[in-house]
Amino acid sequence: MATLLQPEKVLYLVRGEKKIRVPLSQLYFCRYCSELRSLECVSHEVDSHFCPSCLENMPSAEAKLKKNRCANCFDCPCCMHTLSTRATNIPAPLPDDPTKTTMKKAYYLACGFCRWTSRDVGMADKSVASGGWQEPENPHTQRINKLIEYYQQLAQREKLERDRKKLARRRPFMPQAFSQHTIHVVEKYGLGTRLQRQRSGAPISALYGLSLKEGEDQKEITIESAQALDEVEPLPEDYYTRPVNLPEVTTLRQRLLQPDFQPAGASQLHPRHKHLLMKRSLRCRKCEHNLSKPEFNPTSIKFKIQLVAVSYIPEVRIMSIPNLRHLKESQVLLTLTNPVENITHVSLYTCEEGDPDDINSTAKVLVPSKELVLAGKDAAAEYDELAEPQGFQDDPDVVAFRKSNKIGFFIKVIPQREEGDVTVAFKLRHDFRNLAAPIRPTEEGEATSEAIWLTHHVELSLGPLAT
Amino acid sequence: MVRALSGQTVVTAQLQYEVDSPAVCERVVRLMSGALALFLSCRGIKALALCLRQLELRSVLSIKMPLFEGLGSGGEKTAVVIDLGAAYTKCGFAGETGPRFIIPSEIKHAGSPEAVRVVQYNINTEELYSILKEFVHLLYFRHLLVNPRDRRVVIVESVLCPSHFRETLSRVFFKHFEVPSVLFAPNHLMSVMTLGIQSALVMDCGYTETLVLPIYEGIPILSAWEALPMGGKAIHKELHSLLSEQCTLDTDSGPGLSLPTVISAIPEDVVEDIKVRTCFVSDLQRGMKIQEAKFNLDGSAERPAPPPDVEYPLDGRKILHIKGSIRDSVAEMLFEQDNEEKSIATLLLDTLVKCPIDTRKVLSENLVIIGGTSMLPGFLHRLLSEIRSLVEKPKYRDALATKSFRIHSPPAKPNCTAWLGGAIFGALQDILGSRSVSRDYYNQTGRIPDWCCLSTPLPDSVYEAGKTPPPLMKRAFSTEK
Repeated sequence: MATLLQPEKVLYLVRGEKKIRVPLSQLYFCRYCSELRSLECVSHEVDSHFCPSCLENMPSAEAKLKKNRCANCFDCPCCMHTLSTRATNIPAPLPDDPTKTTMKKAYYLACGFCRWTSRDVGMADKSVASGGWQEPENPHTQRINKLIEYYQQLAQREKLERDRKKLARRRPFMPQAFSQHTIHVVEKYGLGTRLQRQRSGAPISALYGLSLKEGEDQKEITIESAQALDEVEPLPEDYYTRPVNLPEVTTLRQRLLQPDFQPAGASQLHPRHKHLLMKRSLRCRKCEHNLSKPEFNPTSIKFKIQLVAVSYIPEVRIMSIPNLRHLKESQVLLTLTNPVENITHVSLYTCEEGDPDDINSTAKVLVPSKELVLAGKDAAAEYDELAEPQGFQDDPDVVAFRKSNKIGFFIKVIPQREEGDVTVAFKLRHDFRNLAAPIRPTEEGEATSEAIWLTHHVELSLGPLAT
Repeated sequence: MVRALSGQTVVTAQLQYEVDSPAVCERVVRLMSGALALFLSCRGIKALALCLRQLELRSVLSIKMPLFEGLGSGGEKTAVVIDLGAAYTKCGFAGETGPRFIIPSEIKHAGSPEAVRVVQYNINTEELYSILKEFVHLLYFRHLLVNPRDRRVVIVESVLCPSHFRETLSRVFFKHFEVPSVLFAPNHLMSVMTLGIQSALVMDCGYTETLVLPIYEGIPILSAWEALPMGGKAIHKELHSLLSEQCTLDTDSGPGLSLPTVISAIPEDVVEDIKVRTCFVSDLQRGMKIQEAKFNLDGSAERPAPPPDVEYPLDGRKILHIKGSIRDSVAEMLFEQDNEEKSIATLLLDTLVKCPIDTRKVLSENLVIIGGTSMLPGFLHRLLSEIRSLVEKPKYRDALATKSFRIHSPPAKPNCTAWLGGAIFGALQDILGSRSVSRDYYNQTGRIPDWCCLSTPLPDSVYEAGKTPPPLMKRAFSTEK
């Protein structure tokens, strides 16, 4: 019977950009828009970074600096497991007395999974437990930085030119005969002409940039263009006859973990710092309110803001299904749970003919016509043995049982198809009290706010027909 | 917290807000960009002040801060650079020396063992949209760990990318992730930017195909493009068929079993691993002999001695014996001339023939080879020798006067060179904005401007925010000293 509790059996329809059918446990509820939201129709944002192995939070500025990598933890370059620091004692001469030797601690990194150690790569043992390990630097860094500076200079020039052109276009009273060349000439040799006076009202930026270039001794950055080579190194002669030692050759996956170096030999695989993970916060696209905001602390699983649908919308669950036969009416027992603390009134409606949402149902359903009343969720109810019976008058044909904030009720299902799974759909209408933001200040002691009626489209998949 | 130190022209502001709404954040930044400098503090490191005296934040940067090189100069954050290849995707940030991650361009779902390829051109829009959305979501939230809304995007891609794919990708970025702007950069042009030269003949040996495009003075000569579907995919297919025919397996049930009896097909990533670890490209003489022996027209050609066999473990319980002859012959298919006498080497020469005469010498002396397939051991040497020998053939001897060929070595591995070019371009914040397609423009027109489509309305700027960036080098200042 546990299969009936699987979340995929009961789907709620979300009206976003696309209509999606998702179990209620995977949905969020925006109480400002009063609508259901799924993961597809909210915007995701990065909230905080943390290391998955040492669970240390990292502020985003530092994460940017460290390129989203933890300072203390390393990944094994062979199997991507987390490396642990091991210590050995090595004899080392005392600083005062070179003849005597004493045991000193030396640390090295080792992988508990594939037995790789930092000594395989030739990394010397360090005398401090953490902070001594450095990643190798990319040899091309300097050249690339120089290239960037050079291009930035060209880009600045282009931007100035573009701004000047924009200026030229904005001032229609300037003679059209001014070509780009004359503007250059004028600028190069100083603006001692009428032009300067006319342009005095122009924004400062264009002129300022110019005077900065001439006044300040800004060196023209030139770079030597790359030299092309005539000859490329051929493969060494013994390449054709040398047997391949497969464990020595790195796999493609190992190589791509180090994009700067991509070494072919396993003896050059250096460990890298561990990549961080992040916590996400979700935001409704329409009203820009946060739907989910996790705690800052990586070890905490709680949320600062948690507007999940199961805590606002009544949840339908299937309790028991009898044998379903083609064109025969059967009773299915469903439960309805009220997540909020006040009394909720729920009414169910069948989908009308030609309902555009109703595309999957393969059976007719008859839902109770009377309104169902659900008691509020009382957190102390389980401890209260002397619970008074709730004074609800229930029709025994409709309501099977009632237990604190849950009721069980019957629906009648008539499968229309001879084969395949039976799917039914109906509309669930309930009242929702928005306690989020009172529009007008209410009187003292009055805590109720306006109740709005929300309608959701629910689909149940009841499984195959009984043979 | 904004503090103005009187008596100095330096005004500092602390940028450590936790705003819960992007609108507030924008207002805050705009307030500060009036006449302020930025002061960033991080975990106890003392503040460093950038001194600005202008209205615009980005123009003058007199103090270099080596510590904060990852951050942009001024208020704008560094752009995200993505190179979406058919086999692998390189992603990272502008201004850095290498991509942060090189990941396979595929999505793994929980249920199915087969991964779904991201770069597919033949599926319908809805499916492509959801696949791309999921993939870009992974890129941002698992690998780059940044908010999509804050940063501009530079996408390095091939000029032959179908418009339908490009449109869907831009729809994913603009509609779902709401990025501020997107720039589509051709990968051949970007790789030239890593060298500091203006003209080059660029060959991209990738997964689906090999594409040659000449760049002269910063402008791609689009009419002279040449392509062949010879790439990683073709090599994998050939290698798989050779392995199935010729190689034997050792399993628990017994040694020497032929491959098809045990497993139906070797998965492609295993074939790729075999290619990367055991295969190589022989030099010209040896390669020619192998080709003659394969076609064996006279019946007399002898194959040179094959390299040693390799025992390759599969799944931990099987051992595949890879014949040595496979190791050096599978890469020959790149250089075998097919029925139209085309091979990878002839592509370069055909392109030269198509180019204007005065450009040929410059182009032939500036060859740039990028792409993952070109990282096979011995590839470059073989390519150069092939070109040099082909240029003596009657077909090219009279057509091409230039006989000297030189090859560049960019400051990055060949599979990351195009990405690096995109990162260098993305670091130029002054012009990145004007050349990209902004979100407003996209919302107005609903389309991405394309180099092959002339009916796109121009945005309200001097340069069209189109695909081929106008040359910003030579044309900038004709009066340079």
